[in-house]
Amino acid sequence: MISDKNIIAHRNLAALVDYSNLINSSLDLSFILNNILLTCFSKFQITKGIIALVDNNNFLELKVIKGFSSTDKEKFPKVKLEELISNSKMQVFISQYKISVVEKIESNSGTKGVVLLGSKLSKNPFTNEDLEFLKTLLNLGATAVENSLTVERLKNVNRELDSKVNQLSSLFDLSKEFSGILEIEVIGKLLVYSIIGQLLVSKYAVVTCSEKSINILESKYDIDQIKESLKICEYDKINESLDKEQIVKNYPDLSKFEIECIVPMKIKSVTKGLILLGKRVTNKPFSKSDVEYISSVGSLAIISIENASMIKELLEKEKLEKDLEIARNIQQNLLPKKILQYKEVSISAYSLAARTVGGDYYDIVKLDDNRVLLAIADVSGKGVPAALIMANLQAFLKSICKQNLPLDESTNLINDLISENTSNGSFVTFFWGIFDKFNLEFTYVNAGHNPPLLLRNGEIIKLKKGGMIIGVMPTIIPYVSETIKMEKDDVVIFFTDGISEAMNIDFEEFTDEKLERIVLEERLKSSDEILEKIKNEVDEHTKGAEQSDDITCLIIKVN
Amino acid sequence: MADFNVNLRGVGSVSVIDVKGYLDAHTAPELENMFSKLIVDKQFKVVVNFDQLNYISSAGLGVFMAFVEQMRDNKGDIKFSNMNDSVYNIFDLLGFPVLYEFYKDEKEAVNKFSNLG
Repeated sequence: MISDKNIIAHRNLAALVDYSNLINSSLDLSFILNNILLTCFSKFQITKGIIALVDNNNFLELKVIKGFSSTDKEKFPKVKLEELISNSKMQVFISQYKISVVEKIESNSGTKGVVLLGSKLSKNPFTNEDLEFLKTLLNLGATAVENSLTVERLKNVNRELDSKVNQLSSLFDLSKEFSGILEIEVIGKLLVYSIIGQLLVSKYAVVTCSEKSINILESKYDIDQIKESLKICEYDKINESLDKEQIVKNYPDLSKFEIECIVPMKIKSVTKGLILLGKRVTNKPFSKSDVEYISSVGSLAIISIENASMIKELLEKEKLEKDLEIARNIQQNLLPKKILQYKEVSISAYSLAARTVGGDYYDIVKLDDNRVLLAIADVSGKGVPAALIMANLQAFLKSICKQNLPLDESTNLINDLISENTSNGSFVTFFWGIFDKFNLEFTYVNAGHNPPLLLRNGEIIKLKKGGMIIGVMPTIIPYVSETIKMEKDDVVIFFTDGISEAMNIDFEEFTDEKLERIVLEERLKSSDEILEKIKNEVDEHTKGAEQSDDITCLIIKVN
Repeated sequence: MADFNVNLRGVGSVSVIDVKGYLDAHTAPELENMFSKLIVDKQFKVVVNFDQLNYISSAGLGVFMAFVEQMRDNKGDIKFSNMNDSVYNIFDLLGFPVLYEFYKDEKEAVNKFSNLG
């Protein structure tokens, strides 16, 4: 007679084979755990059961729970595997829910978790056979659990790898893109998009810094406030990435913006910019690999930004050069092409524009058969603006000459006209005089120009009469003129500060004294010779140095 | 390399943006311009149809991050539809599904707006 026991054993065995086939056919952890628990439910006729697995820190983590209300679930205490029995909270939980059996799930590599089962519906206690059967059940289950855990781990590793690959491909994408962009604003935008898209950040700022100045490229914060806070905290000394904790501790001014990550953008280990990021929308912290990504994108961006600004500078310089060339042309065309000569007076003139173009101007205009007008001026500033004022001055001068007004009145007029036509503090030092060869009189007005030197009998008389520089304000105090009776062999030297202030390589000026000494020595020579001498002396003095200002000299000698 | 296209359609009160080709750092500014225009026109309900998009990079994803708050602050949203698996995987990898709504079908996404009135 086949015993009941045998029939039961046979049935149990068949059930075990089914169960083993089922759980080993799946790699889905929750499916497996669910089946283990349900098999226990049906085998032992129980209504409550829990499976908890050991997590990385050896704590038990609820995976499947059946027969408990959701508030009851909450009461499952957080315990470590080794404290399972000794923990008082767990003891309370076990007695409260009448947990009858606690059994570990063991595999070759150690304990994977535990199964907790409630009491049987029949109220009968678990028999030894029940416990043996449970052990077998769990042994079979352990392998399946282990396999699925391994797969899950692999999936995570894969995901991390995917994430890395994705970061790398966006870096690659950016490196291609950045190198072609010359607008700094566009680089900033792409940088920001690549970071916020990759890391899901909604508050951010990107700043670049250069010699104590901060430039906010992109900001979701108040620009003035963030600028102020950055100034306070010596932004340019940040040369390591900072996490939330470090920011709170060391940069309270920035932590008030809830900035959680700061990454410097460096070139040759000098901080050239900063990337400031608020918290991630997913609430995850910035990982080491995230910071590495930000830092890589930042490095790419800052190099492109530097390149772009260098090219911009270069273009500006080229434009300036062009500007200067135009100015030089204007200036050269304003100067007299041919110098008038008379029997009674010889005239020599010379003007050399500096590379950067100052604003020297001179003119010699025949007024009538007896009178010739001589003018010399130095316009403040350089380049095109100065050249335009000079052109204005020449136009006014030529038209006023035709009015035949006294020179002082003409000066009042010319000052009014120039004042109207200049802005932002431009001015002109100006000297003009009319030489009348019929009665040998020289009438002049000096409007703030270096006084021309009148040489007579080995003495120097400086021609200072006149008034203030022109172009600053309309005439309030009228200019005054002076008339000098000229004598034979009188020489008048008109010059600009380009001569007296000509620099040598040691930055020493030529000086008025030296000019005066030379002209006194040379006074008996012709105007051409005196001019030649001055030119040579200035050349000698400035040898090897760059000419910093226009040089102009005009000499008349009464024959 | 005409490798990216954006097109704007109105479906009722919802703006549908069709994106096509490769959305990367190079082409992201085009999408950005489109969104800026929508903001100016006060069109805050947006569905992006990814049906013909083959690739998206972080810079492309960044554009959605940059505009979504503004849309939501104005009672609108940016919703996604018709995404192929490889594009969805990138969104998924970076955690977008927690923050954005994804729909299989454009109609579904558009209707989601009208349901809210």
